[in-house]
Amino acid sequence: MSTNSVASRLQKARKGVGVAGPGPAARKPASRRKWRLSARAWTLIAFAVPSIVLLLLINLYPVIYAGIQSVRNGTLISAGSFVGFSNYRHILSDPTFWHSALFTVIFTVTGVFGSWLVGLGLAVLLRTRIPLAGLFKVLLLLPWIVPVVVSATSWNWLVATPQSPLPKLTHALGMGDVLFLANPTWAKITVCVFKVWISFPFMMMMMSSALASVDNTVYEAAKVDGASSWQAFSQITMPLISRSTYISWILMTIFCVNDFPTIFLLTGGGPVNSTTSLVVLAYRTVFQDFQTGPGVAIAFVMTLVLVVISVVLYRQIRKANVE
Amino acid sequence: MASQPTNAAITRRGFIGLTGGVAGAALLAACGSGGSGSNSNSLKFWNMPWGNTAFNPLDKKITLAYKPTGGMAKATYQEIQWANFTQTFSSAVASNTGPAVSSGGGTQAFQFESQGKIAYADNLLDSWKKNGIYDDFLPGLLDAMKVKKGYAAVPYNLDMRVLWYNKTLMQEAGAEVPTDWQSYMNACAALKKKGIYGYGTGAGAGAFTGGHILVSWMINNGGGLFDADQKPNCVTKENIEAINFVLELVKKKYVDPASPTYTSANVQSQWKAKKFGMGFDTGGLADNVGGAVGPDLLVGTPLTGPSGKKGMLYFPNNIMMYKNTPSQKDSEAFLTYYFKNMTPLWTKSTGIGLPPLKSITQTKEFQASANNVKIINEWQPIAHTWAAPGGEALFLNVTQVDGTPAMDTFTQSILGGHTDAKSALTTLQNTIKSKMTS
Repeated sequence: MSTNSVASRLQKARKGVGVAGPGPAARKPASRRKWRLSARAWTLIAFAVPSIVLLLLINLYPVIYAGIQSVRNGTLISAGSFVGFSNYRHILSDPTFWHSALFTVIFTVTGVFGSWLVGLGLAVLLRTRIPLAGLFKVLLLLPWIVPVVVSATSWNWLVATPQSPLPKLTHALGMGDVLFLANPTWAKITVCVFKVWISFPFMMMMMSSALASVDNTVYEAAKVDGASSWQAFSQITMPLISRSTYISWILMTIFCVNDFPTIFLLTGGGPVNSTTSLVVLAYRTVFQDFQTGPGVAIAFVMTLVLVVISVVLYRQIRKANVE
Repeated sequence: MASQPTNAAITRRGFIGLTGGVAGAALLAACGSGGSGSNSNSLKFWNMPWGNTAFNPLDKKITLAYKPTGGMAKATYQEIQWANFTQTFSSAVASNTGPAVSSGGGTQAFQFESQGKIAYADNLLDSWKKNGIYDDFLPGLLDAMKVKKGYAAVPYNLDMRVLWYNKTLMQEAGAEVPTDWQSYMNACAALKKKGIYGYGTGAGAGAFTGGHILVSWMINNGGGLFDADQKPNCVTKENIEAINFVLELVKKKYVDPASPTYTSANVQSQWKAKKFGMGFDTGGLADNVGGAVGPDLLVGTPLTGPSGKKGMLYFPNNIMMYKNTPSQKDSEAFLTYYFKNMTPLWTKSTGIGLPPLKSITQTKEFQASANNVKIINEWQPIAHTWAAPGGEALFLNVTQVDGTPAMDTFTQSILGGHTDAKSALTTLQNTIKSKMTS
């Protein structure tokens, strides 16, 4: 068999055409077929329609309704009147919105890459043979498993008052009285660290499964070629787990941007709005200021940004697939 | 194998038709009116968990013991949790599935009144003038419920803000119980020498008391947030003086620097840890702190401000009637029964706030608590609502300051000490105005 012949057959295979020649479907172009459903198909559709309608009602209706709310000046109990895009203009010209957007970026970048670094490190570490590895895995999963309300209460106990363990520790270390929640800068740091802490087990699981899919023979070959541990990690491991990495980044970005309880339970968005993210701002606008329009508009802007970020990262996944 | 048409009793076409019909009927049913504040022979009463675990069972018992006469509606009882209560009531009222009578947030009646959902209590109060309930209310309470078109609600229980001190810590520090602002400052100075904070407060997640107390300082000095036209008027001489006083307390480190983000639990733990020797809090602080420290906590005397005035913020929690009811007479008959029979809620240690009726404050059970008696005798008469100094009657726009982000930010900036009084009050004023107009 000539090389050309093999290449041609492979190309056919990629196009979904049988190696032995065009199949029966190719003989009769789909466009010329009379599109007719059998009685069985109609029955199946009849069974499916209620579910489809229900799904549309559940998923699409709230989005459309929220879109309508974002261009009205309603409250929680009245629809209000149409105000065009003034809610969007209002929020985009509000310094609090941009302050919250900046904190959302800080929180998300720290949350995604902090938890990824810790998760990846632990996943690599747990690949090595260590005693009680199973127990360690379970213990390391706890921050992810424990309800965030419990975690937030524990962290509050850990840092809130001068008598809490961490402030006592920093005092003993000569760092003075650190106000982990009351100082705006420290509050940001504390909230971000808290996010990394509750998120790294998820990343650890994602990276563990990705690392498990890498064939050990690749490393053995690299070792034979004289690659160092760092070279093996950076030139073999990282490219081979890039797809999982991008997927985990997308998921964690969505988790971080939409994360309400982590921030709200620990600081409520304070002090003086320093830890107010966009989702917290949206909540406060709707449920504390009773302004549905601007609150929903904030949520829509958030969604738009999330979609853009997801698309960019998804393209990276496709690129990784091609490579 | 594909299914084939058979001679079964239901054909495919028939089955599809039946499926569609059932689905359509279900959808139509779902789109129906969805019920009302009550059905033809029952009246929905929704109440909040105002006290400890004993409160709602007893409240339910009182409600269900209502035996109406003359074919009037019986009452049903529903406990509504504080978590997301705004959404619970809003969605229920908007969909006409809400209660006929309910308690709720302190400003809830005024929100729903502005939406035309509230049935005014004027006729009810007229009837209460004849049976003695009207005259039984503590002074000033009913005035707080009056809006332009009538009474939006009736007072139910009082949430007071008062001065507390730890008698043992005060004695150990050699501090005198304060009676005015200067003596308060002196007491703080004495406590500080012992490493104790004299202005115990908190303004963290869900802790709105910190903001309440700042407004209380303003009211104490004859100020407040709203003028007689119910418009925000925050940047006044009285308010600036009051906030400057607080900023001085912060500067002198009489305020715990971590206070801006203290939750209510954090505040109570500081009282328990004997780090707070004095401070302003709700009327139930001693019970909430409990343990060995609880009995040491005593209610102080209202302070006299530099202007010679006394005053404090309070919240007259209330019960409202909705237009969505079997009949207004049913709602009024039930409320009359309820107010005549609700005394056990205060005499059986249910943990509810202070009573609105003088007769309940005269019971031996209520009189057994010296702190409660002091609050009713000394603090209630000088207490004012959010509407101060312009008036007493609450109105819709107080929702722009009660537990709002604007008030949180203002409070945290003051307790953090990184601002000046005029700037902070101006920012607060502008924010309230923008929220009112947008």
